[in-house]
Order: sequence, then C-alpha cells, then structure tokens
Amino acid sequence: MSRIITEVAPGTARAAKRRARWLPFPYLYVVPAVAMFVLFVAYPILWVIGKSLHGSGSSRPNAFVGLNHYWQLFQDPVFWRVLLNMFLWGLITIPVQMVIGGTIAYLIETYTTRSKTFFRVMFFLPVITSVSVVAIVWSQMYAPYYGIIQQYAKLVGIPLTNSPLGDPNLAIYALIVVNVWQWTGFSMIMYVAGLTNIPSELWDAAKIDGARGWQLATRVIVPLLSPVTRSLLLLGVIGTLQTFPIVHLMTEGGPDHASEIFGTYIFKQGFVIGDIGYASALSTLTLIIALALSVIQIVFFGARLSPNRKGFV
Amino acid sequence: MKMHRIAVALCGLACLLAPCANGVGNDEITVWSWFISSTMDKASKAFEEKNPGLKVKYTYYNYSPEYLTALKAAAASNSLPDIIGLQPGSLTQQYREQLVALNAYAAKEWGDDWTAQMFPVALKQLTMGNPPNDPNYYLLPQECQVLAIWYNKDIFQKLGLTVPQTYQELVNAAKSLSDHGYIPLYQGAADGWQNENVFLMIANQLAPGLVEQAQAGKAPWASPALIAAMEAWGKLFKDRVFQEGALGARAYPTGAQLFAQGRIGMMALGSWWMQESKFPPPLSRFIQNMSGFDFFYFPALTPGGKPSPPVGGIDIGYGLTKNGAKNPQAWKFLAALVKGVALQQALNDLNDLPAFAGFEPQGDITPNVKQLYDRFIDDLPHAENQRFAHPEVADALDNALAGVASGKVSPEDALKRVQEVTDKTLK
Repeated sequence: MSRIITEVAPGTARAAKRRARWLPFPYLYVVPAVAMFVLFVAYPILWVIGKSLHGSGSSRPNAFVGLNHYWQLFQDPVFWRVLLNMFLWGLITIPVQMVIGGTIAYLIETYTTRSKTFFRVMFFLPVITSVSVVAIVWSQMYAPYYGIIQQYAKLVGIPLTNSPLGDPNLAIYALIVVNVWQWTGFSMIMYVAGLTNIPSELWDAAKIDGARGWQLATRVIVPLLSPVTRSLLLLGVIGTLQTFPIVHLMTEGGPDHASEIFGTYIFKQGFVIGDIGYASALSTLTLIIALALSVIQIVFFGARLSPNRKGFV
Repeated sequence: MKMHRIAVALCGLACLLAPCANGVGNDEITVWSWFISSTMDKASKAFEEKNPGLKVKYTYYNYSPEYLTALKAAAASNSLPDIIGLQPGSLTQQYREQLVALNAYAAKEWGDDWTAQMFPVALKQLTMGNPPNDPNYYLLPQECQVLAIWYNKDIFQKLGLTVPQTYQELVNAAKSLSDHGYIPLYQGAADGWQNENVFLMIANQLAPGLVEQAQAGKAPWASPALIAAMEAWGKLFKDRVFQEGALGARAYPTGAQLFAQGRIGMMALGSWWMQESKFPPPLSRFIQNMSGFDFFYFPALTPGGKPSPPVGGIDIGYGLTKNGAKNPQAWKFLAALVKGVALQQALNDLNDLPAFAGFEPQGDITPNVKQLYDRFIDDLPHAENQRFAHPEVADALDNALAGVASGKVSPEDALKRVQEVTDKTLK
C-alpha cells in the first residue's frame, strides 16, 4: 500500500495523505463483506419491513396498508400471550441454564481429572442432538399412560394421567424444561472455557489468602467469569427470540395458543394462514425487540464479552 | 482471454442449471408433495413404463413445516416444480396465482362430461375459496377419504362390547376399555386436524352441512346446533370417552402405533387407515389384512337420533404450476395421477379411495379389506364436506376446540371467537 501511495502522490506529505484517503483499494477490500451483508442481511430485513406495510392474501394483495398490521398486532390477544411466553422463556431459561451449566462446569473442572472429557461430552451431548429427536423423546417421556415421567410419578404414588404439553397452564413450562435440558450443556462448555482461562496464579493466590468453597466461588470465580456470563446473557436473549423448532414440534404453540411464541406465531401466520404482511410485521417487531435488548445489554453491561480481549468493543 | 474462458464457463453452467431451476426439461417432470414416497415411486414407474423417455422426478417433504416452507420459498422465487400436491381450500388458494386452471386440460383429456364420475363432495371442494365468479379448478383430486371411528374388533369381542348405537353406549364402552387397561377412544388432540374431524362428525350429525354454511358466512357459528356440537365435543373429554391427557397427545405416530399394537379400543381416523395393511412387515396381527379392525360412524348423541353421516372429501390433489404449463409432459403425469396408471398404483397400495367412481384396488386385496373398501366407497357419494376454504377459520376452530376441551372456554365464547375470525376473513 505504501509503495502505491509513494508512486501516485509524489507531492507534499499532506497532499499524499489526503489523496491516499481516497484510494479505492481499502474500500474494495471490504466490498465482499459488505455485499454479503447487503444481500443476505440488509435486503431481507428491508424486504420484510416492506412486506409488513402491505396487505397479503387473495382479498387485498399487495395493497399498501401503512401501519395497519402493527395496529392489529397490538389489538391481537395472541400477540400479548406470545410476549408473555417469551418473557417467561427468557426469564427462566437464561438464569437456570447459567446456574446449572456453571455449577456443572465448576464440578467437572474442580473434581474430575481423567474423566473430565467424558463428562464434558456427556453434558454437551443434548446440544448437538437433533431437535426432532429431543422433541420425540420428551413427548414420549411426558406422555400419559406409558411416559417414563408418569411411570416414576406412579411409583411414588402420584398419578399423572395428563401430559403437561396438553395443559394450557403447564405447556409453556413443560417446553421450558426441555429447552433447559437441551441448552444447559452449552452454558457449561462456555463456563468450562472461562474457567480454564483463569490464570492459575489467581487460583493459588486466592487459596493462599484462605478463600474456600462459597467464598472462592462468589468472590473470585463468578467475577472472573462475568464476560462469559455476559456472552451467555446476550446469546440467551437472542436464542429466546429465535426459538422455534422445539415448540413447533411438540405443541405447535397450542393448546389454544398457550405455548405460542414468536417463531410459531410467525410461521402460522406466514406459512399456514398465508398472511405474509402480518407475519412480516411480527418479524419486524421481533427484530426491533432483539435489537433493543442487545443495545440495552451493551449499554448497561458493556460489550467486553471475552476475558482475553481487553478493550474489545 | 482468461475472462473469456470464465464467461464461457459461466454460460455453460447457467445452461446446465437452467432446466433444474424450473424443471422444464422436455423429458423430466418435477413433482413435489407430502405423498408417501414408496407409493409415488410405483406410480412414477408405472407412468414411465407407459411413456418411454419420460422421467418423473419426485421430491417428498414432510407436510409441516418442510412442505409448506418449500412451497412458499419456491413460489416467491418463481421456482415451483411442474406439479405440486395440494389440498382443496386454503392450501390451493394460497398458490392460486402460481397455478393454471385445469378445466380445459381435463375436458380435452377426458371429454366435456369428465366431472360426471367425480364424487360430489370432491367436486364441491374443487372451487372452495375461489373468488366469486371464478369457476376454475386449480387442483384435480387424486384421492378421497371418509372419516370414521375405527375400533379393535378383538378387544371389543374380548370385553363383550358391541358397536355403540347411542352416546351412553359409547361412554360405557370407553369405561369398560379403560377399566381393562386399554385406551378408550384415542384422540390426538394436540393435532388440530383430528379435532376438526371429530367435531365435523358431531356437527354434521346434529345439522348436516351447517359448518359449511357457517364458514361461508351463510349461518352463524353460534347456531344452537353448533353450540350443541361444541358441548358434545367437550363432554367427550369430561366423560372420559377420550383418554386422559388427550390434549397433549398426537395422532401420528403415537396414536397410530398404539392402535396398531392393540393398546387402543377406538380411534377417529379415516379410510386411509387401510393402507397400514400394505406397509412392509413386520405388521401386528390386527393390521394384517385389517383383520383386527372395523369402523363405525359416531353414534347418535340424542335419544332417537341418527349416527353421524359420512364426512370426508379430497385427501390429496395436484395442481399444475405456471412453470409446469410450459412443460408439455407435465399434464400427462398429472392426468395419470388423477385417472390413470399412477392412480391405480396408489389404489393398489390402499392409500385411500379414488376421487372418481369406477376405480378399484387391484392385486393382493383380501376379502376383508375389500368389504371395508366397498363400504367406504358406498358412503363416499353421500359424504359431507370436511374441508375449510380459509385457513384463518380452520385455525380459529382448532383453537376454539382446544379451548373447550381444556375447559377454559365455554362453547358459546369459543364459537364467538370463530365467528369474529370468519367475519374478518370474509370482509
């Protein structure tokens, strides 16, 4: 680069600097990335926003309807149910996964030696298991009459004849349990990475100072793992808003919308009912919520998500 | 020179890919559907043998979400295959803009009176959801179905039960089955379609054709007969006619497997259940030749009343896309699927009933299966419509049925919600 600048700008240093600023090469280097972003991220988002402002279906094809879909959304009781479910989902799954995953990671890293890899793999296994398999296995476990959960409950004298998936009051919680089971291993592996990154001198210093057990955990480990926790929080919020397959496969958002979430409701409106305009409005709102939550997290918790990259913003 | 070579290579690649994108190769016909692959393979083979040089390229999808999303994406990018599997009403209407009217094709192929042999319910369903004054057919039916309550004959015999003639007999049979460790009437109530089917059986018993009028806005959903039907639906849960925990259960694969294994006394299915006997072994003794099963219609809910009439219609049909209309061979295969060698293969596998009178399964069909088949065929001409023109209305009814089943919503409120959605949809 400097060679080119010297050749094309033989004048004063300031003139050379000014001209160098306008050379196209630095911009050309980012063109592929920008083009990919525009093609696969920006354009679809703009397309969806555009669709949310237009009618769909045979009765009002492509007519401009302004913010009508958004207005309808706020009047739609199912939308509020979706918001509540999403709130519950995030509120329960994110901290529970963190606590269980962090505890498992701590136990594995502290109390195992040769079997460390075995336990890491075992707890991580649900994360890489197909969602379809998870859905079928848990549906069978919840099933009345022959489900394993019902069988164990029967052994201790509790007759469970209903599947929680069919109970409007329990369906969302039954799905949250499945989600926690599947994704705790991810939190665990993140915390394992965080724990192995803590310098051994810090462990030794803390132990010499007399830190043990709960004190060691809360005063040393938890603060040092805060970048991992922040990453998990950010990923958890995004993951919550992206949830779809497990709910679609196990309840399809039912019964009577009791376990409806953004993913299933968007799918139902867009692909089953065919109202792309309404589905696009829902998608746009989901995007806005995701953006807002991410910005809030970055503003309040900072954006340093890795303990190894101080100053990364 | 180098650029020239790259340009030539890209042109060559484009030429290679072009037929794939639209499936417009002269000798290849592209078909997408959720129709069982093994039977479609037989149908394709029979067609290819009859039409040397032609090749059917079939892509199977699970219905939801794979098929629905694949269709939507392909429609948006104008890359639909030549032929797509369809159901009448909502699914067809969503893709009407991408489909060609088949009336002229059919008349040219089979003559002007080609609809004469079509079962009335199928004919009625062909134009469901069309805009007013649009008499075109955007799908042609391949197979029809009749809904019914199947029961396990062996279990009934063992427990001394007979086919219920009244609602009380149905409740008693369910109790007896439960008391003896069997699942009474299995309902996969987590599946909206199964709930719709049972509700339609009940509603058409109390007021034949009223649901069809209600969905078209010609009768109120809160009609006394439909409120009574909704109450009867709720009672099936309260009276334990359905198994406990039905709202969390699925008809497929759980229910079907348990039914085939002889753990269920009764299950609301349809004529398609016969195809189980044609599946690859091992088959349970109940499934072999369908010897363990028989069917009945929903018994009379009121003293002195009549059992439910047959309810049914098109199981699956096919549409010719605008891409397919450019491929002169595509119609040939569609015609074979509807009234030709491809249909015959589907019937031989007992996939379901034909949409046109005069066809019968051939090959290894036992007398027991034949009598079941004949009874369904006899009932099909009198079947009430089971399909919905608008997916919004079907979805609202699904939610209403789930709400009533859970006891959280009263029948009146549930139907009020369906009415609101119907009004909004038809506006």
